[in-house]
Amino acid sequence: MGQLTLKDIVKRFGAIEVVKSVSLDVNEGEFIVFVGPSGCGKSTLLRMIAGLEHTTSGDIVIDGKRVNDLAPVKRGIAMVFQSYALYPHMSVFENIAFPLRVEKAPEASIREKVEAAAKILHLDQRLEQKPGMLSGGQRQRVAIGRAIVREPEIFLFDEPLSNLDAALRADMRIELTRLHKQLGATMIYVTHDQVEAMTMADRIVVLHAGYISQVGPPLELYHKPQNTFVAGFIGNPRMNMLPVTCTGVTDQGVEVDFNGQTLLIPVAGRDGIVGSALSLGIRPEHIEIGPGEAVMTITPTVVERLGQQTIGYAALDGQDENFCLVLPGSRGIAEEQPLQVSFSTADCHLFDAGGQALERQVDLAAMSLPPVAVPA
Amino acid sequence: MALFRNDDTPMIDRYRWWEIIGIYAGIFVFLFFMLSPFIEGFLVSLKPLSQLFSTPYSFWPENGSFKAYFTMWESVPGFARYIFNSFLISTIATVIVLLLVVPAAYAFARFSFRGMGLVLAAFLAVSMFSGAVLLIPLFRLMRTLGMLNTYWAMIVPGAAFLIPAAIWLLRTYMMRIPKELNEAAYMDGASQFYTFRRVILPIARPGIIVVAIMTFIGAYSQQFVFALTFNSKTEYMPLPIGLFAYFGKQEVIWNELMAASFVGIAPALILIFFLQRYLVGGLTAGAVKQ
Repeated sequence: MGQLTLKDIVKRFGAIEVVKSVSLDVNEGEFIVFVGPSGCGKSTLLRMIAGLEHTTSGDIVIDGKRVNDLAPVKRGIAMVFQSYALYPHMSVFENIAFPLRVEKAPEASIREKVEAAAKILHLDQRLEQKPGMLSGGQRQRVAIGRAIVREPEIFLFDEPLSNLDAALRADMRIELTRLHKQLGATMIYVTHDQVEAMTMADRIVVLHAGYISQVGPPLELYHKPQNTFVAGFIGNPRMNMLPVTCTGVTDQGVEVDFNGQTLLIPVAGRDGIVGSALSLGIRPEHIEIGPGEAVMTITPTVVERLGQQTIGYAALDGQDENFCLVLPGSRGIAEEQPLQVSFSTADCHLFDAGGQALERQVDLAAMSLPPVAVPA
Repeated sequence: MALFRNDDTPMIDRYRWWEIIGIYAGIFVFLFFMLSPFIEGFLVSLKPLSQLFSTPYSFWPENGSFKAYFTMWESVPGFARYIFNSFLISTIATVIVLLLVVPAAYAFARFSFRGMGLVLAAFLAVSMFSGAVLLIPLFRLMRTLGMLNTYWAMIVPGAAFLIPAAIWLLRTYMMRIPKELNEAAYMDGASQFYTFRRVILPIARPGIIVVAIMTFIGAYSQQFVFALTFNSKTEYMPLPIGLFAYFGKQEVIWNELMAASFVGIAPALILIFFLQRYLVGGLTAGAVKQ
């Protein structure tokens, strides 16, 4: 139980189309993250699944049943709001018990279920307090407690961590992942934070201007973005885009001309691209100092030293965006000093003029290393 | 200056000595303007009647006493009844107003429906007319409904004129209750009425108490016109009309009149004083992240 299907979901507010034909299958027990910039329709999509908004057209199907016209409770869904939405006049106990009181559950079973939920969320000591006395993280846990006490098949989270500070957010991320394993329920999570998406999701749904841009496991999105939007959105700092010209297509890949160098990029070729302008994508973390397969000279204008890594930004001729490179550790690069950098063609992405990726020939299975067996 | 300024006072709250004097002088002038009738009234109630007409007039009572506060009950035996009437009329009017206004304000705050702006503007327009302007049509209405010379003649118009302000006041308060609370309750399966009763009403309590106090004071002070016009029965008279009883054929018993005025206000003052304790703010703290 807990299988969700979206079929051609469209949502219009007046003349504005916020969600444009979204179709998606969510498997039972999956942790799905909707991610995208502000205004991409991710929250609207979640609110439609929740039953807070009507769909303009399309079907929402849960466990084989069309639920478009059902109230949230009948859908077997619970939702955690970004703002927590706790009832300020009730104790933590009553807040968590609220859904059970609504369905008029017997007092003994309410007590049992609330205490079980409080135990999972480490709120046992706080049950008699009012929300106003709790910290942000505790309030968020109360909101989650109110959702889990009803034992729904699908949990919806609307940017639940965005009001917390960075350290607490990292803690809650781990806690939510643990909770997902413990409950085994389907979870749909909306965020604009790609770290949350990458760390928690089984699959990420990248939304862009009302469309699904790409769906896939986190590492697939990182290694094989299907278009320039996903390539730019996943990964931090953003992927660098460099203009190149296609000079030939072979079985091994696509040959491009990059600043007078001919590079063979291992991607699947396509008919009719020879001679056309392409975008070469290279992630900042794949750039190294010194000579290599593809070489370029840049002059960093800003250098950020984080200790763990050093980030340099350089302006390129004829491009609005800074070229960015990330070097491990505290590397000795200086501002305003020309620097020879290089990258490997195996790390390159190629996108056509429409922004669609030419598929990289990478083995994702080999990318994610098997767990290392520790000798006893 | 230690009273006003010490090391713990934030910079923005620190003033020079002449600024503080200016502030207090301003407060004094303002309060004196507002309170001088009350002060004079109270002093008059302490004076013997003969001293009131002496020349030169002395502001401070000589051999003042609270005697008028005892004799007033004998001069006008029905006075306790008038206080009771005032209380009864104001209380029933307040209850009626609250019963109507709380759901109405919630609806205006939460739902958007066709003609909402128009209705709200109409409420505002109604409160631009004082009751006195509409006395003649109201009189005809009361007569048709057979309400003349009953308590209802004072309760119904009193409540009607207090409703618009109460709706506006409470609507503003309820709009500050986060909408997510409704959505969360809806997600948890609560019906509109359940949410209203279990979530909205408790959170809106401070606002409702403010509206109740405002309405009660309004009803208590606005009875005069309606009572004078729509009621001629002595036993239904409220306090402001009852005070006329101290106006004799030959003379006005000023000191007892003033004493009666203060005695009449006292119960309302005491009631409000106690209700004020329930005006605890910050009840929404912790509901949502601000």
